[in-house]
Amino acid sequence: MSTLTAENINYKEELKRKTSKPLIWIGIVSIIMFFGGLTSAVIVSQGGGGFLAIEMPFAFTISTFIIVASSLSFHFGLISVKKGNYSAAKLSIIITLIFGLLFVVTQYMGWTFLHDNGYYAAGKESTQESSFLYLLTGLHVVHLIGGLFSLLVVLVKTMKNKYSLENLTGMQVSITYWHFLGALWIYLFLFLRFIIA
Amino acid sequence: MTIVVIITAILIIIVASQLLKIAELRAKSKGELIYEVSEKAGKTQGTLLLTFLFVLMGFFFWQMYSWYGLRLPDSASVHGESIDFLSDVTYMIITPVFILTHIVLLWFCYKYAYSSKRKALFFSHSYKLEVIWTITPALVLTVLILMGLTSWNQIMTPVPSETDHVLIELTGQQFTWTARYAGDDKKLGRSHVTLIEGVNATGVDAKDENAKDDKLVKGEFHLPVGVPVQFVFRSLDAIHSAYLPHFRAQMNCVPGITTQFNFTPTITTEEMKAKTGNEEFNYVLLCNKICGAAHYNMQMDVIVESQEDYDKWLAEQKTFVE
Amino acid sequence: MSTHHHHAKDFLFTYVFSTDHKMISKQFLITGFLMGFIGLIMSTLFRLQLGWPGESFQMVELLMGSWQENGVMSPDKYLALVTMHGTIMVFFLLTAGLSGTFSNLLIPLQIGARDMASGFLNMLSYWFFFVSSVIMLISLFVEGGSASAGWTIYPPLSALPQAIPGSGAGMTLWLVSMSIFIVSSLLGSLNYIVTIFNLRTKGMSMTRLPLTIWAFLLTAVLGVLSFPVLLSAALLLVFDRSFGTSFYLSDIYIGGQVLEHSGGSPILFEHLFWFLGHPEVYIVLLPALGITSEIISTMSRKPIFGYRAMIGSMMAIGFLSFIVWGHHMFLTGMNPFLGSVFTFTTLLIAIPSAVKVFNYLTTLWKGNIVFTPATLFSVGLVSTFISGGVTGLVLGNSALDINVHDTYFVIGHFHIVMGLSAIFGMFAGVYHWFPKLFGRMMNNKLGNLHFWFTIVCAYGVFFPMHFLGFAGVPRRYYTNSEFPMFDEMININEFISIFAIVAMIAQLIFFFNFVYSALRGPKAPMNPWKANSLEWTTPVEHFHGNWYGEIPTVYRWPYDYSKVDSNGDYIYGEDFIPQTTPLGENEKDGGEH
Repeated sequence: MSTLTAENINYKEELKRKTSKPLIWIGIVSIIMFFGGLTSAVIVSQGGGGFLAIEMPFAFTISTFIIVASSLSFHFGLISVKKGNYSAAKLSIIITLIFGLLFVVTQYMGWTFLHDNGYYAAGKESTQESSFLYLLTGLHVVHLIGGLFSLLVVLVKTMKNKYSLENLTGMQVSITYWHFLGALWIYLFLFLRFIIA
Repeated sequence: MTIVVIITAILIIIVASQLLKIAELRAKSKGELIYEVSEKAGKTQGTLLLTFLFVLMGFFFWQMYSWYGLRLPDSASVHGESIDFLSDVTYMIITPVFILTHIVLLWFCYKYAYSSKRKALFFSHSYKLEVIWTITPALVLTVLILMGLTSWNQIMTPVPSETDHVLIELTGQQFTWTARYAGDDKKLGRSHVTLIEGVNATGVDAKDENAKDDKLVKGEFHLPVGVPVQFVFRSLDAIHSAYLPHFRAQMNCVPGITTQFNFTPTITTEEMKAKTGNEEFNYVLLCNKICGAAHYNMQMDVIVESQEDYDKWLAEQKTFVE
Repeated sequence: MSTHHHHAKDFLFTYVFSTDHKMISKQFLITGFLMGFIGLIMSTLFRLQLGWPGESFQMVELLMGSWQENGVMSPDKYLALVTMHGTIMVFFLLTAGLSGTFSNLLIPLQIGARDMASGFLNMLSYWFFFVSSVIMLISLFVEGGSASAGWTIYPPLSALPQAIPGSGAGMTLWLVSMSIFIVSSLLGSLNYIVTIFNLRTKGMSMTRLPLTIWAFLLTAVLGVLSFPVLLSAALLLVFDRSFGTSFYLSDIYIGGQVLEHSGGSPILFEHLFWFLGHPEVYIVLLPALGITSEIISTMSRKPIFGYRAMIGSMMAIGFLSFIVWGHHMFLTGMNPFLGSVFTFTTLLIAIPSAVKVFNYLTTLWKGNIVFTPATLFSVGLVSTFISGGVTGLVLGNSALDINVHDTYFVIGHFHIVMGLSAIFGMFAGVYHWFPKLFGRMMNNKLGNLHFWFTIVCAYGVFFPMHFLGFAGVPRRYYTNSEFPMFDEMININEFISIFAIVAMIAQLIFFFNFVYSALRGPKAPMNPWKANSLEWTTPVEHFHGNWYGEIPTVYRWPYDYSKVDSNGDYIYGEDFIPQTTPLGENEKDGGEH
């Protein structure tokens, strides 16, 4: 079996170190193109006819603060691991996870607000702009749920003290994605604020 | 029957496999490797490729000879002449390119087929050559682009409202066309799908003053020769495309929006019949965007006639209110 | 018992859920070819209808069942076949089949890596592709039949089951299948890019990469940038179809009813679709161009002419492909000024394409060409790339497009320049790298026969279509017999159909050769074509890791063929110098003399 170099454990570790980060970056590029396609769809549709203004739920503004805070706490967790302060790391990752869940909650509150004000996602009464509003925020949450899962993995691994200064790749990948989700939300928030609302 | 086919196929596969095996063994006994291309076999392929040059060119000219005559007759609209001219210019450029590059390609294949007596030339780049064949196509393209854009912009400019013209709305729906003439006021009335009811098959708004004298026709519509015709296109269901090949005119009909195209017919139907020597000749409007099962048969006849005949025909048509 | 279990597990992970790029490559190849063969049969079936409209083909009923009652195809089934043929050929054969096979096989082998960046993602990529293929085939059997709105699935036709039966369950499955396909393609592309950038062996600088790798890299970049946009387009369509949103739909009256959708525009779909759709053409074409660059250079025993210009022109084509999508939409009522811009950018693509053609020709010039089937198909590609390419100047010019848009002229154009070129590239690749794939050699004589049948029939099928276009015959017509003006076209259609049938039968030669050679062909030596690139330094037998011991170091570019010293003798006594040979004194690397 020694000939199967590609299945050698050292090789696999090295491979992971070398390629995880570029993989997540290119993955991010494709997600950017996906949302780029959708937001340009909004602009194209808007060019077609009058777009009605929609009142943005205040909950979305709160979401923005929450996701920024979660990025900061995750980053603090990374720094703590680097310093070897594992208890601080665990705490900040738990806080990040809570922020992440809170973000989903505020998103849900935002949708409830929209729904109660007569802006529907789909159906007879819905308009294109309200559909887009739900769709863009909803798809962002879908991507965020992926992020939450990776956070869980990071949390478990931190609990087991798996990370060290030499072995941080997994956490770095997760944090890159999490920051990206934050940036994506801020983009979407501003886009929706100034284009649809 | 099926069993016979299956048995034959199996037999063919067995025989072919055995033949391959024998060929391989024979090569082996001679100390050759069956997958190595011998000089002779290579030359054969080179010669075949050169032969293919003649076959391909022969085929091209044979097609020109037998089928080029089936092309659409000369353009029956003013702008169509500029399209035909540009088209001729383009073919004058691309046909020689097609022929010459094939001559070079297939001649090289013949000429430079493998020979153990020769060495290939190590020639990896030449700045000069590469610049030449970047600039040359660029120059030719500049000409084509400029000519194309000039025609395109002329063609796509709507007829100015002060010019004397005919205004017609063409509505596509599965699988029929409706033409609506603007009537004496030269204005089309409002229309919307929610107003479709019974005979009002395209949803013209009866309350709109402009709509009262509009005339809806089906089956065939008429155009006066020499007068600009401004078309407006609508669709009620899928995307259709109004294609009037003899006039070099085409525009998609998209539900939810209106599109436009205009042309000036130059040849009447009668003249065209004489010109093509075909008594049955008729201008047609076809659908050219896949729109459902009967897409292939969504047509309307177009009659181009003198102003007097056209006026007479139009007067016979009922207005929308009638 | 336990050993038996172990064996079963071994089998499962070696042949089924393998993470070895070589096995995944074979999986892509075989699945792609099977799909391609189904697509080919579909085309033959509707060619029967076009060549002999309304005629009854009792034999075919056996295959088609109720789709061909009494041997006559119905109009909506005709459209279903046309749609599935397009979808399968473009995506399943020429995107996944071509790029999936050769990117997987060649990227690690030619850059000197043990495997892809992530073998697991790579395996997922294949299995997503497999599942999407299965779903696409299942969609043939649902009520209402498969998707029938054309491979471009423009709404409202694709959104409304009232408009065409295939837009019911068939379209739903189409969208599901394509979404999975897109994920597969993205996972693949991600891997290819990261592998090329991060796992090159020592000395393998970007300018020492074979052109195949450059082509695969650019293809993957195009895929990562454009497929997500198609996914977004498909997603909006799913919402319109199933949840009553109005992204694409507005003011529709169908089946005696006014629909509630308002405010949407089908043009939005066209924009999103073609933003993928045009780069997709090059996703299909670039790998084929890369493969033939490699083969033409190796087989004419000459360096590829203008290595850097080849890379530059591929980059230019890739870049331009993102700003030309509007040329599919000249006649959608778009702003004429936008039309002008798209005409300009579209015709610009002719420049890098011309550079590529001339560079191919110069590579053949004064070469010493060894005619294997791979060489023949590569020459075939140059021919089709020219013949199909030149008519692009007609279609890309918005003014001329008015009269040939959506006619058979378009069918002729894109089948030759994209379909034939890509499939010729794929065949060339299979013949050339068969020894790497299966460790055995294919039969040359059968290969030559396959080539000659294929190229003659291919031209016989697609060349006459231009003449149908001159006559104004629209595409996607079930029959031309409803218009007196097309009556004379029946001869041409018959002519085309006969060639199409022969072409299909001729592919059986290939399949026989393929299967026979894979199982019983003569054993391959390590470097049968005397080629320079790194994959020919690996052992013939497959194992996960590619090289025993260290991965070789690279010292030079891969195109040092027939390099001679001042006396006119080959520098190392042979007409090829593998990349692993260190540079001699006074010897320069790359294209310099």
